[in-house]
Amino acid sequence: MSSRPVFTSSGDVSADVVVIGSGVVGALVAHQLASAGHSVVILEAGLRLPRSEFVERWRNMAYFNRLHSDFQGLYPQSELAPAPLYFPPNKYVGLNGPNGSAFQQGYLRTVGGTTWHWAASCWRHLPVDFRMKSTYGVGRDWPISYDEIEPYYCRAEDAMGVSGPHDKDLQSPQERSKPYPRDMIPFGYGDKRVAELVNPHGFKLVPIPQGRSVEPFEERPACCGNNNCQPICPIGAMYNGIQHVLKAEDAGAVTIDQAVVYKFDTDEKNRVTAVHWYDAHKRSHKARARVVVAACNGIETPRLMLLAANERNPHGIANSSDQVGRNMMDHSGVHATFLANEPLWFGRGPAQSSCIVGARTGDFRSQYSANKMILNNISRVAPATEQALELGLVGQDLDDEIRRRAACGVDLSVSLEPLPDPNNRLTLSDTRKDPLGLACPDIYYDVGDYVRRGTQAVHDQVKQISGLLGGTELRITTDYNANNHIMGGAIMGDDPKTSVVDGWCRTHDHTNLWLPGGAAMCSASVVNTTLSMAALGIRAADSIQNAFKAGEV
Amino acid sequence: MNVRSSHMARTARTLALGALGFTAVLSVSARAQDADQIARGRYLAIAADCAACHTKPGSSLAYAGGYGIASPLGSIYSTNITPSKQYGIGNYTLAQFTAVLRRGIRGDGAHLYPAMPYTSYVRLTDDDIASLYAYFMHGVKPVDVAAPVTALPFPFNVRASMMFWNALYLNAKPFVPDPNKSAEVNRGAYLALALGHCDTCHTPRNAMMAEVESQQMGGAAIASWFAPNITSAQNAGIATWSAADLARYLKTGDVPGRAQAAGPMAEAIEHSFQYLNDDDINAIVAYVKQLPANASATVVDRHQTQPRDAFGAVSAEDAVLRGAPKVDRGALIYDGACASCHQPTGLGSKDGYYPQLFHNTATGADTPYNLVATILEGVNRTIGTKHYYMPGFGRDSYVQHLSDKDIAAVSNYVLKQFGNPAAHVSTQDVASIRAGGPKPVIAQISPYIKPGLAALVALVVLVAAIFALRFRR
Repeated sequence: MSSRPVFTSSGDVSADVVVIGSGVVGALVAHQLASAGHSVVILEAGLRLPRSEFVERWRNMAYFNRLHSDFQGLYPQSELAPAPLYFPPNKYVGLNGPNGSAFQQGYLRTVGGTTWHWAASCWRHLPVDFRMKSTYGVGRDWPISYDEIEPYYCRAEDAMGVSGPHDKDLQSPQERSKPYPRDMIPFGYGDKRVAELVNPHGFKLVPIPQGRSVEPFEERPACCGNNNCQPICPIGAMYNGIQHVLKAEDAGAVTIDQAVVYKFDTDEKNRVTAVHWYDAHKRSHKARARVVVAACNGIETPRLMLLAANERNPHGIANSSDQVGRNMMDHSGVHATFLANEPLWFGRGPAQSSCIVGARTGDFRSQYSANKMILNNISRVAPATEQALELGLVGQDLDDEIRRRAACGVDLSVSLEPLPDPNNRLTLSDTRKDPLGLACPDIYYDVGDYVRRGTQAVHDQVKQISGLLGGTELRITTDYNANNHIMGGAIMGDDPKTSVVDGWCRTHDHTNLWLPGGAAMCSASVVNTTLSMAALGIRAADSIQNAFKAGEV
Repeated sequence: MNVRSSHMARTARTLALGALGFTAVLSVSARAQDADQIARGRYLAIAADCAACHTKPGSSLAYAGGYGIASPLGSIYSTNITPSKQYGIGNYTLAQFTAVLRRGIRGDGAHLYPAMPYTSYVRLTDDDIASLYAYFMHGVKPVDVAAPVTALPFPFNVRASMMFWNALYLNAKPFVPDPNKSAEVNRGAYLALALGHCDTCHTPRNAMMAEVESQQMGGAAIASWFAPNITSAQNAGIATWSAADLARYLKTGDVPGRAQAAGPMAEAIEHSFQYLNDDDINAIVAYVKQLPANASATVVDRHQTQPRDAFGAVSAEDAVLRGAPKVDRGALIYDGACASCHQPTGLGSKDGYYPQLFHNTATGADTPYNLVATILEGVNRTIGTKHYYMPGFGRDSYVQHLSDKDIAAVSNYVLKQFGNPAAHVSTQDVASIRAGGPKPVIAQISPYIKPGLAALVALVVLVAAIFALRFRR
């Protein structure tokens, strides 16, 4: 049943399907199609390296980088395919606009993708998140409903081995056709204690659904709480995209790493007939395929579509609508830190455990942004030490103060919901080129007044929460931070004039090109995007299988 | 143990109640007797680990067969031994059932391959065979599903050829207690040999794949693993183990500071030993403890300079050298792939879920098959409701695939740092263990034997393959 890609002596290849990008979305698509008997080639711009190397590099990093969450720096990059670095900044992505600095995304170009350093949060959008325009008069409606994507959420949860609450009262959303594959990761002491204090006031603290388990899950060992999910799970207890890369390869798919795609061939019907890539020696090769899937990340997918403009598609591949690269979104966020008046001992168990979702939705969304507040469960020892040293303490006083601050420290990671705005736009730089001479991306970003008004509400809510916990030293960051949940750049819709892909992530312009992933998302909600991206990937794979069966490709 | 005893009692009660429903005409005492016999049969079936082969892993259809033991000649499928009249053994008489267990001859007269350990079950007493029969006829739910038929190529499909092998090697008799040994040791011997078939792995075999009597329980290779010497030999055996250590090992597969069970032994503990009652575990321990020292059985034993669990110590190397460029590839892999669980010090976790690496039989054996096999295949052992799991680092590992060279490097680092520094692993050793372990001599030389002997040789090769692969899943 399974067939294999065919290579020529010069290194060109032919296959039923070419998948560009080997992250969670590309890997799920490749796995499903290879398992269905199609020949599949995965082209990945970055390097392929083993887990232990990432683990060792993280351990050996300078304390400053570790303290300030340099989750990018430990992943070696292909010289020809840079990803953003911030210690110091490599300025691969040029940022501008009122909130350009809020779009400093950390994504990886490496086999397995950015889920090497995610926190494994597997949230679903709410049903109403798919109807923002018709319900609240803001943003855009999706062309598909929650009910249509729901079975794919289930499949994504199964594929990634998600642990989430079986107790309906703790689910967000509660609309589910199947229980989570595993029950929730048990709350730590801090989660339980904060829930006791804040829930009577409507804040609704719930467990975060997570792609890990406290019991072994298939070939993954049990999570033992290394608290090191970001930047690398050292034992493989957490889901990483590499899991489905390996499964895809077992099913016959072939992965080519250090393969930077830069050009698309299109025929008279504007079907994509081949893609071209540069190998590690800057030699160009061609992959012919009946179907092309670009799942390269929310920045790299629109960048590639623009880079690959050709005579028939002068504004970029899939870009007759001029919407490629527009509507860029992320959960622009703030952090709120304070010291509770009792020890809560955050930092045991996985890096993210529970989340306050009381303001996840409501009528206010017609006026200002919803939010969610993650009780960050990353150990507070490092920031506590930095703070205690700043106080000038030494000896036992220093030890005691570190202990107090590590035990009582609270860090709320607050996510807000920007609306899709065509002016928030990724373009190709006129001046900056990558080592292959390909234009680097520039991004203009303004979080918008909707988020700014929502931030006011966040301030009020955070003050109340801090008060309930007897908080002191409350600090709320003033600059928005990125959350690496990149959305919007190849937005979904029914109308080819105003959107890039249809409800199956199939491009309006090219019958055999699919762009599944975050770029297709029409609303940001306030929750991490990976599960939605995975669900869209599986939907796209179904759609591709149907297209093969119907003889459309 | 109370848990298990009460479980047995509960099972007996359940079975008794079930029997009541069907046999209302029987007298109360006869019903109780039947129920007791069925419960006993169930226990014996666990002690003999029938389910290991006859229940397909992961299947909910108990004893419905269909598990394929992979051999180079094709899969040998376990059969449906539920009382299904069409697909199972529902029509077997006690005499036919006895013939299967004692002579390897099934109901239709055909010979079984020795993948079925009738060479051990021949030792079962008449009473126990009757109990097993009662259990399989009345205590097991019939499953009307056909198991796949084993179809090996000629000449292996001529099952009658097993007669020759049986004539040579099926020489044991129903168990007779040794009057010079205590009742407990006799009970243990019966459990270990007739039911548990410990010797099929732990006793080395000669070139014709027959067990070497003089080297009983002296240790032998079994596929990728090594079933160690379990005699009272000082260094090679387990002389330093207390009775309590042995009992704990059989019940849990975990004795901190000595050994953790993986591979085929973990399966035996998971499916069989953990369910045996305390008296029987103690009987097996008493039997094993009195096995005569035998330190010359294998090359491994002769070079074992200290007990396998006596090597090594905690290490501070990582703390001292953290951040320094590592010149030793093995040290680098240990840090990145092993130390997150086993700790840079080799101490493992405080709760023992991740065991310490020093004073550990896997790192102290002179020929460290089990260290390499553990790295390749991991550990997978469920005791009660607790699932002990270490991911393997073999070809299909999600966590990380390590090459033969890297596994040799990290093994040698672990041996030097935590285990037996005289032991050494080569890249070729890893390749061989990855491929299923060293082949029996007869299999290696078979291509060179004269054609006239081919059929007999082929048969022996088959038997060798079956023994080598019986415990591979």
